Parts: sequence; C-alpha cells; structure tokens
Amino acid sequence: MTTGSQEQPGAVVLAPEARSSRLLDSHPVLAHILGRAGWYLITFMVAVTINFVLPRLGDSSPVDVIMARAGANLDAATAREQEATYLKEFGLVQLDQQGDIRRDAAGKPVPTSLPVQFARYLMLSAQGDLGTSILQYPRRVSEIIAGALPWTLALQLPTIVFGWLVGNTLGALAAYFRGVFDRVIYPAALLTSAIPAFCLGILLVYVFGIQLEWLPAVGGYDEGILPSFSYAFLASASHYYLLPFVSIFVIIVGHQAIGMRSMCIYELGTDYVRYAKLLGMQERKIVRYMFRNAMLPQLTGLALALGGMVGGALVAEMIFSYPGLGMAILTAIQGNDYPVITGCTLLVTVCVLCANFGVDLLIGLLDPRVRSGRAASR
Amino acid sequence: MFRGLLRSPGFILGVGLFALTLVAALLLPLLMPLNVEQRVGLAYTPPSREHWLGTDHLGIDMWSLLVHGLRSSLYVGLLAGTVATLVGTLIGVYGGYKGGLLDDILTVATNLFLVIPTLIVLILLSSSLDEGRSLTLIALLIGLTTWTWSARAVRAQSSSLRHRDHVALARINGYGTFHIVVLHILPYLASYIFMVFILQTASGILTEASISMLGLGPYDSVSLGTILNEAIRNEALGDGAWWAFLPATMLVTVIAFSLYIVNTAMESVFNPRLR
Amino acid sequence: MSTTPILDVADLRVHYRTRAGTKVQAVDGVSFQLAAGEVLGIAGESGCGKTTLVSACMGLYMPPLFYGSGSVRINGESILGLDREQHRKHVLGRKIAIIPQGALNSLNPTRKVRDLAADMIYSHGDRSGKAEIEERLRERFTRIGLDARHVLDAYPVELPAGTKQRVVIGVSTLLNPQVVVADEPTSALDVSTQKSVIRLLFDLMDRQIISSMLFITHELPLLRHVSSSIAVMYAGEFVEHGRTEQVIFDGRHPYTRALMGSMLSADPGQRGKKPVGIDGAPPDLKHEIRGCRFAERCPVARPDCSGAEQPLRTVAGRAVRCSYATAEPGVAAEPQMDAEPQMEAQP
Repeated sequence: MTTGSQEQPGAVVLAPEARSSRLLDSHPVLAHILGRAGWYLITFMVAVTINFVLPRLGDSSPVDVIMARAGANLDAATAREQEATYLKEFGLVQLDQQGDIRRDAAGKPVPTSLPVQFARYLMLSAQGDLGTSILQYPRRVSEIIAGALPWTLALQLPTIVFGWLVGNTLGALAAYFRGVFDRVIYPAALLTSAIPAFCLGILLVYVFGIQLEWLPAVGGYDEGILPSFSYAFLASASHYYLLPFVSIFVIIVGHQAIGMRSMCIYELGTDYVRYAKLLGMQERKIVRYMFRNAMLPQLTGLALALGGMVGGALVAEMIFSYPGLGMAILTAIQGNDYPVITGCTLLVTVCVLCANFGVDLLIGLLDPRVRSGRAASR
Repeated sequence: MFRGLLRSPGFILGVGLFALTLVAALLLPLLMPLNVEQRVGLAYTPPSREHWLGTDHLGIDMWSLLVHGLRSSLYVGLLAGTVATLVGTLIGVYGGYKGGLLDDILTVATNLFLVIPTLIVLILLSSSLDEGRSLTLIALLIGLTTWTWSARAVRAQSSSLRHRDHVALARINGYGTFHIVVLHILPYLASYIFMVFILQTASGILTEASISMLGLGPYDSVSLGTILNEAIRNEALGDGAWWAFLPATMLVTVIAFSLYIVNTAMESVFNPRLR
Repeated sequence: MSTTPILDVADLRVHYRTRAGTKVQAVDGVSFQLAAGEVLGIAGESGCGKTTLVSACMGLYMPPLFYGSGSVRINGESILGLDREQHRKHVLGRKIAIIPQGALNSLNPTRKVRDLAADMIYSHGDRSGKAEIEERLRERFTRIGLDARHVLDAYPVELPAGTKQRVVIGVSTLLNPQVVVADEPTSALDVSTQKSVIRLLFDLMDRQIISSMLFITHELPLLRHVSSSIAVMYAGEFVEHGRTEQVIFDGRHPYTRALMGSMLSADPGQRGKKPVGIDGAPPDLKHEIRGCRFAERCPVARPDCSGAEQPLRTVAGRAVRCSYATAEPGVAAEPQMDAEPQMEAQP
C-alpha cells in the first residue's frame, strides 16, 4: 500500500494508526482479515449488481419469449392463464393480496420495479434458487448448473493442477540447469503459451478427431451410454476427455514454465543465493531456497486459476461440445435464456472472488515478507 | 537498445508476421474482388481454382469471408488495445505519480475491475445488446473492460519514477502535474507502454474471437470469431469442412503468436537476465 | 620464527580472456602471509582487483575468471585445485569464510535465522541432532551479543540492520573458520553500529573463534583502526605492503600517498586537509602495460618509469613497488628537477 502523501514538506501528517482502535492494533492479523473481507464484500455486491442489471438492459421480457414459442397454438383464454403463471413465476409483476396479478386501468399487469426484482433476486439466490430456465422451461437453473458443473470440474481441476505442477517443474529445471534444458524448454514453452487455447483445441479436434480419427471429436461420452459410475461409462468418458484435457494442459504447462523460469532466474541472482553459495551450502538446499521463494507468486497463480476454472473453459468446451458449464452458457446465450446466463455468471464470479480472497488472506498470512511489510508500515 | 531489438530473431519474426497480416488485410481488398454477400456455390463446397477456400454453410466464398474477417478482427484488436492502453496508462500513471488518497481510490477501483472476470462482463453486456453490436462497440467494450491489467503495470512503473531526482526538481520548480507527467514520466515509460499496448492488442483480438465464437459477436460484420462460430454451429467441424474453420483458426493463432513473440523479445532485450 | 602462517598466498595470478582472445590479469602475482591474530587491510580504487583477490583467496570457482598460477594455502594445505564438492564442504565456511558486501540482503527472507544457521551446519557434514544444534546456536548467538531466543526465531526482515549484520557475522563464523574475509562489512551502518560490529570482530579473534582477517574498506579511519598491516592494491598488484602506521602516515609509493590523501578522515590532524582526488583512471588491463602501471597518473613519474619492470622492493621496512621510492621518511619519491611532472593522464 502506498504511504501517505508527502506533498507538503514540513506539514505533519497524522498517522492513521493513531486513530484506529487498540484492538485492531494489537491484532494485526485480525485487522488484515477484516479489511480484506470488507473489501471483497463490496466487490461482491458490485459484481452481483452488474450480474443482475446487465442482462436486463435489453427490452425482451422472458415471458414474451416463452409465449412466442409455446403459446402460438393456444386460444386466448388459455394463453392469458399461461402468461399469468409465467409472469408470477418470474416475479415480473406485482401481486395483490389474494395472489392474483394486479392490473392497472387498462388491464395490463403492473410490473414490479427493478429494485424490487433485484431484492427478490438476492433473496432467492441466497437460498440457492436461481430461477427457472426460459429455454428449457420448466427446468430450474440450479438443476441445469448442477448437471453441468461436475463435468467442468472434472476437466478443469486435474488439468490445472497437473499442468501447474509439470509447468513449474520444467520452468525451475530450465532456470537452474540452463544449457540444453533451457534451450529446449524455453522455446517450446514460449510456443505453447502463445497459442490461444481454442486454437489449439480446434487444431487437435481436426487432426486427431477428424482426420486421424484416433479420438472422439465431440461430446462428453458415447451417445448410447447413460451417465453413471459404471465402468463402461467412465471408460467412455475418459476417451472423450483426452483431447480437451490435452488442449488445456499443454497451454498451462507452457505458461507456468515461462513464469517459473523467470522467477527462478531472478531468485538465483539474488544476494542471498550468492551468500549461501559462499557459505558452502549444499546445492540441494540452495535449490530449495530458490524454489520456495519463486513458488509463492506461482501459488497465487494456481489459486486464481482454480478460482477461474469454473468459467475458464468456456470456449474449449464449446469446441468439443463437452457437456460442462461452458456448453450450458453457450446454449443459454444462443437461446437468450437469461436466467441461466445470470445463474452461471453469478457462480463464476463467486468462485473467482472466493479464490482471490483466499489467496489474499493466505499470502498475507504466510509470506513473511508481506507480513513484516505490514508490521513495518504500522 | 533498438539495435538489440533488431538483432533478436523473435522480434523480427513477430513483427514480420504481424506486418504481413496487416498488409494482407489492407491490400487484398484493393487487389481482388471480394464478395461476402453473394452465394456463389453450394454449401460447404471444397476449395477449387475459383474459390480458393471453398464456400461456407450459405455458399458464400470463404476466401472473401476470411479477408473481411481478418480486417474486422485486426480492427477490433487494435482499437480495443488502444483504448485499453490509453485508459490503463492514464489511470496508472496518474495514480502512480500522485500517490496518496487519489492513488488509493484508483487502486481500489482497478482491483475491483481486475477481480470481476472480464469475459463474464463481456458476455453479460453483449447478450443484453442484441441488436446494436457493431465492431466498434465491441472493440470499445473490450477496451473498457480489459484496461485493468495495464493500469496496474503502468502504475507500478510510474510510482517508482516518482522519486527520481528530475521529477522532484520539476515539482520544486512549480510545474503542474500534467506537464510533469507528459515531459518527465511518460518518456521513461514509453517502451514499457508500447509493450503493454502489444499485449492489450493481442488480448483484444483473442477476446473478440472468444466472444464472437460464443455467438456474441458483431451483428452485421464478419470477423474471424464469427467465422468460427458459424463453423461450429453448422457442424463444419464434424463434416470435415476444414476450409471453413482451419484458416480462420490459423490466422488468429498467427496474429496472437506474433504479438506475444514480439512482447517476449522486447522483454528479454530490456531485461537481459531473462535471455 | 617458524610458525606456519594461517594464510599463505604465493604469486597468485587470476585472469580472464576477452572475446578477442586477450588475456587480462585481474590479479597479477600477489603474495602475502597472514599470521594468527593479524588483520590485513586491503585498500585501493574500485576495479583494482581487491574483490577478485579475496575471492581467489577463498578458492572460489568464478568463471569467466580463471586461476593461472600461484598457490593459496591455509594452515599449510592448498585450497586450490580441489574437487568442487570437497572445496564446498571443507574449505568454504570451515577454513575461510566471507562476510559479504551488502550483508543486509544476504539473508534468505523466507527462512528463519535458526533454520539458515542449521542449514549451514548440516551442509558441512555435521549430523548432530536438532537439540544439539539448537544449543550450539543459542550459545554462539548469545556470545556475539544477540538475544538468541528472539533472533533465532525471527525472519530476517523482522530484524534491524545492526542485528542483521551480527547475524551474518554469526553465521559466517559458525564453523570457526581460520580466515575471515570482511568485504565492506560496515558500509551500510551508522557510526555507532559500525563500532560495535568491529568490536565484535575483534572479540571473535580474541576468543580464537577466528584467527585472522582480510579486511576491505574505503574508509581510512576504519582501515587504520582495524588493520595490523595494510596492502595497497593497484591494477592487480600490490604497490605497497607494510604495517599500518607505515602505510598510512608514511607511504613510500606515490599512489599510496595519493590514496591516503584522497580519503576523508575525521582525525584531528587530518581534518583540515582537503582531500585531493587522483586524476585519471586505472589502466585498461586489456592492453599490455610496460613498466609501472601507475606511471600515467603519477605526479612524480619519470620517463623510464614506463620502461622497466617494477618489482616489489623493501624500502624502509615495507614492500614498495616503485624504483624511485626513497629511504627518506616522508618522501615517496623525488620529482625530477628538470622536467615537468606529468599531471595529466594520457587520453
């Protein structure tokens, strides 16, 4: 954090610490946690508001969309009834005391105001009710997400974790041993990290899926099998898993390798490594020093990547028609199914924020450099 | 310093590739007839002598689509990159130089935008703007949501420059903030800002491609991303109609790749230890 | 007397090769001996080869610099030419240890002091248990004037500068090395902390934890206070080497006098004197230099100074590398009466 402004020499700036409470002073850790939590809460509220407001900027009402699709063949009375049901369900109209729709002088339903809708949205979301899908009416949004989320997690989690491990190891090796290692790993990593993820995906699908037909190109599993924990299903699913996995894995490895290599090169040039060598420390201890100090920022990267994994494979899933959250969002976008869009994006935002918050806390608590920086500024 | 850049193979390669695509985008429409509206054949006909890349799902000449798409994508990328760099640099330099409360406010705002996933915001924004999505609008949207990274990067640099002697001297002499920033701080940041611009442009092109692939692209134009979107939607992938998606994919890859390589080359020239 | 000197350096030469293939001698035939209890102060401009010399005295592998010839012996045993692992385990830290420049950044920020010190011990083959090590560390750190319990537990970033310096000294001397190299150990400290650090070093010598020291500094009073003998280095060679009072107050080499005159001193006798810089710059060792290397900048140089080789001669009880160094006290060399003294360095 920046130190106070010192624009006027000679003026005495009252240190903020002088004004804060005794309790927080004696528990810097607590103060840190509360501070970060407060900030993230604010960010969260902003994000949720954005999440709610943006899709509703358009003109179309979800009910009109549904009615346009489903109500074409109904007579007027049934249509009115259906419409009323939908309107109530989506919370778009005000209700009177008997639960009927309140209508104005012209007989049109009185819409609820945006703030009221927002409050309703918040209340329901907090309870886990993310509304009903328009496209797949009457499936509930939470149901759709629950069906898609495991696929995304199954793909992303191992990919990110292994990719991170392998990438960082390669980067550290390249930095420490230089020579042949470096000359091979560095350009390779450069290459793979510069290729956009979906491009690699498309290339892999085309080469291995279509031309060579070694691996299936689209889908999550064979069409005939139903999802279950049977061996047949898992075998089939892993078959389909391979290409999406590789397309994301390779890029993560490249990216991490380059980052870790830079960090390690930096650490190897520091005074403390030089001193350790002068003291006659064993090489493997020095490597451990370098690794540990270079690792901390990389861990940040890992946590953030994990936080973003829910929303990170959107395009990859789309290319492979992989039945995860990405496909769910895509289908929702194409069908203007904004409850689903809102639900998914809310989930992604929550995950990212939680990850960032967690990382913030952990780094503040674990890294002695940050800890003391805080202590020093008091 | 520039000589070092010119000697770096990565730099030459990257600049060369990117220049090639720019030149192609600018010159090809002038050199040959391109028609993206007329059906010239059946859907997904393979490449032939007249239609070098065959046709798409509507029977439109793929080559024309590709060139138009290239132009659009480059346009969006460069515009988005410019906007993001401008906004980010402004906020970063100003906050970094001034310090104090202003800096804290700007940093909080930056971090706010940083943490909220930009792709999500773009998805939300784009899906709510059904009809009005033009190339320029999309470029502006991308620029205005991805500036946070450059703001952070530039701020760090600017804040360390603040303590330099010549800056202090200028301040003592009574020069105003604007004057100091433009004459004393920006020149030192020039190469850094350029690198930032390159990365933002690359990011802009990729973001546009992603957004368009998801179906949220420009409504009335062809871009590389929309080409891919159409290909996937119409199962060109499964049908093996490689001309409908491979060239667009390769182009996006080449552009992004060339820009990244340039950036990496510049980085290693300015920080020799990394070589 | 025939006691083996602790440190015996004989005709040491260290060089590197430029891209064009020229051989550049960074250290060109340096010899000296250190007995127990002796502190050799090494003075000279930046670039004269001081750091290379002390690095070579430690036997360090430091490409692109290479050992040409000469020997370095500690307690009679050569420390050059050893297998790298042997050198690391038995020489570094055990026979000779360095207290580096910039000691304040030399401690790994993410390692507690105790763990760092323990790493040092374990790296040299000691297999003692944790409790034993803890006891040792506590005892040693208390001996050097630190609050062992608090300091051992701390991370370097939590400690003030003076404490960090002591910790570095403590860690460097943990294995009781015979020779300690102190490279500007007090440059980042305030005066009172400097004094206590120097006192600590002497204390360690008194207690026989370390036997002798090589001390590099730019500060004249410190040099005088700490050293028992001083060697003045220029362009890779010693140009004067003798007891402290001789070299500082009665230097016989023109460079020595110029150097001492250019260093600031707070001593009452010296305070009024204005420091006089030495014009010009040290010679570029890539080109072969005939004769005296200081001749270009020497205020009393004569034409034949650039012709003949200048060996070290004993004049007035110390070694001097100047043909015209006189035996007269207080006079380095006599300027020629009938020629303009060369004041400017050749462009």
